[in-house]
Amino acid sequence: MVHLQNVSKSYKNGVNALNDITIDIKDGEFVYVIGETGSGKSTFIKLLDGELIPTKGIVEVNGVNVGKLRFSKVPKYRRNIGVVFQDYRLIESKTVFENIAFALEVINKPRKEIRQRVREVLEIIDLEDKAKSFPSELSGGQQQRVTIGRAIANHPKLLIADEPTGNLDPERSNEIVELLEKINQESGTTVIMVTHDINLVNKYRKRTIKFEYGHVVSDSREGGYIAHV
Amino acid sequence: MFRLIGRHFKEAFQGIFRHFSSSLNSITAVTVTLVLVSLLTLIIGNVSQITRSIEGEIKIFVTVEEEIEDEEIPALTRKIENVEGVSRAEFSNKDTELDKLIASFGEEGKLFEIYREDNPLHRAFIVSLKEGYIISDVAARLEKIDGLMEVNFGGISTEEFLKILNGVRQGGYVLVAALTLVAIFLIQNTINQTIFNRRLEISIMRQVGASNSYIRQPFVIEGIFIGIMGSVLPVLATIFGYKYVYEAVGGQLVSGMLALQPVNPFAYYVSAFLVAVGIIVGLIGSFLSVNKHLRWRR
Repeated sequence: MVHLQNVSKSYKNGVNALNDITIDIKDGEFVYVIGETGSGKSTFIKLLDGELIPTKGIVEVNGVNVGKLRFSKVPKYRRNIGVVFQDYRLIESKTVFENIAFALEVINKPRKEIRQRVREVLEIIDLEDKAKSFPSELSGGQQQRVTIGRAIANHPKLLIADEPTGNLDPERSNEIVELLEKINQESGTTVIMVTHDINLVNKYRKRTIKFEYGHVVSDSREGGYIAHV
Repeated sequence: MFRLIGRHFKEAFQGIFRHFSSSLNSITAVTVTLVLVSLLTLIIGNVSQITRSIEGEIKIFVTVEEEIEDEEIPALTRKIENVEGVSRAEFSNKDTELDKLIASFGEEGKLFEIYREDNPLHRAFIVSLKEGYIISDVAARLEKIDGLMEVNFGGISTEEFLKILNGVRQGGYVLVAALTLVAIFLIQNTINQTIFNRRLEISIMRQVGASNSYIRQPFVIEGIFIGIMGSVLPVLATIFGYKYVYEAVGGQLVSGMLALQPVNPFAYYVSAFLVAVGIIVGLIGSFLSVNKHLRWRR
């Protein structure tokens, strides 16, 4: 699903965000990416969703060489990737239903299909009763679930969650990881979750890749990161 | 397809009303610009018209050498008419010349009747010019023809006048172009604000893979709409204002030679031009602004 071959990325200001990274993530895997601020996690995600192109090496996602992707092809490519952010990024003037539908509207899905899919998604994220609520009427955990719903609305093959539990208490954080697990297991979506939360990593053990100063310093298949970050 | 257009229009209108003051600023700016453009266009149009009519009125007066026999006149006529820039050469014999002289002096002109028998005037050609030719150039060419004695034209003053009119016209074009650029810049600013207000939606649209043209369309529609709104007042001002001025001066300046363009169709042409400028300005302004924003920094 995701294949990085000797990837380096340096920014114009001279910062080397990633140095010679090689990572392989298979279809249907659930992977944590951990590391301190500035370790290269965000650059890694931006390389995956086509926001950035690598300075060196190959970034391949779902068979697409993302680094070589033409500007005009990026939108179509992104339809296969769902992204969840720490800060939710929901449109305040739209209801939960409309926020999820928005992701499908802007890629020209027929209205009937949108309605049906949004109902399915609401069921997955367990917010059927909040369909008509506005984001401001929801708790942080519920808002994050809406964001996840929006990200999976178009059946992406890869779901990237960038610190999805960053603003949530442990209880809600658990719910979010469990929701991501459910999505991963039920629809076979590959999930990459960037996180700071060692408790989560230790509790829900999965493959864990640790970044430090732009290098991959550990990639433990059996998961569980015992030390502190 | 219709669903899509509907969405884009809805968003464009929302954009206009959500930050109405900024839209109003833009519309006002376009209005002011287009009023100036209208004024300039009206001036340019009339200057062109006047230039054409003056050029049409200009005649070169050429006298014929005494040695030339009357039989040679048709050949000479053809020679003159073949000169570059000449549209017509009208021959006038001694009697006609005398009649004209007498007529030009009115009552007292009758005194010249005594010359009828022994006419001292020369036979002449009245040469008309084709449009767009410079009189002095044509006159110089006529002087080279054998059998012609003297070449006279309105003189440098007419030519200077035409040059001034031309200058006015060209200056007008430059000003219209400059004003259009200013309007584009102003619309760009308003659209920038809309983009800023909707940056979250745009970032989500980009994240979920909305095409660039899809993201662009509401903004472009908004820009065009601002352009059209901005052209409403200028169009009304043009039609009614020009009609008023035209009627006030009786359709001409000083003399019939300086006739103004008639209200119908000229004012309507100018109005259509203004709407077109409004639309183009809105289109380009919004397009530039949204494209700048959509460019990927990768």
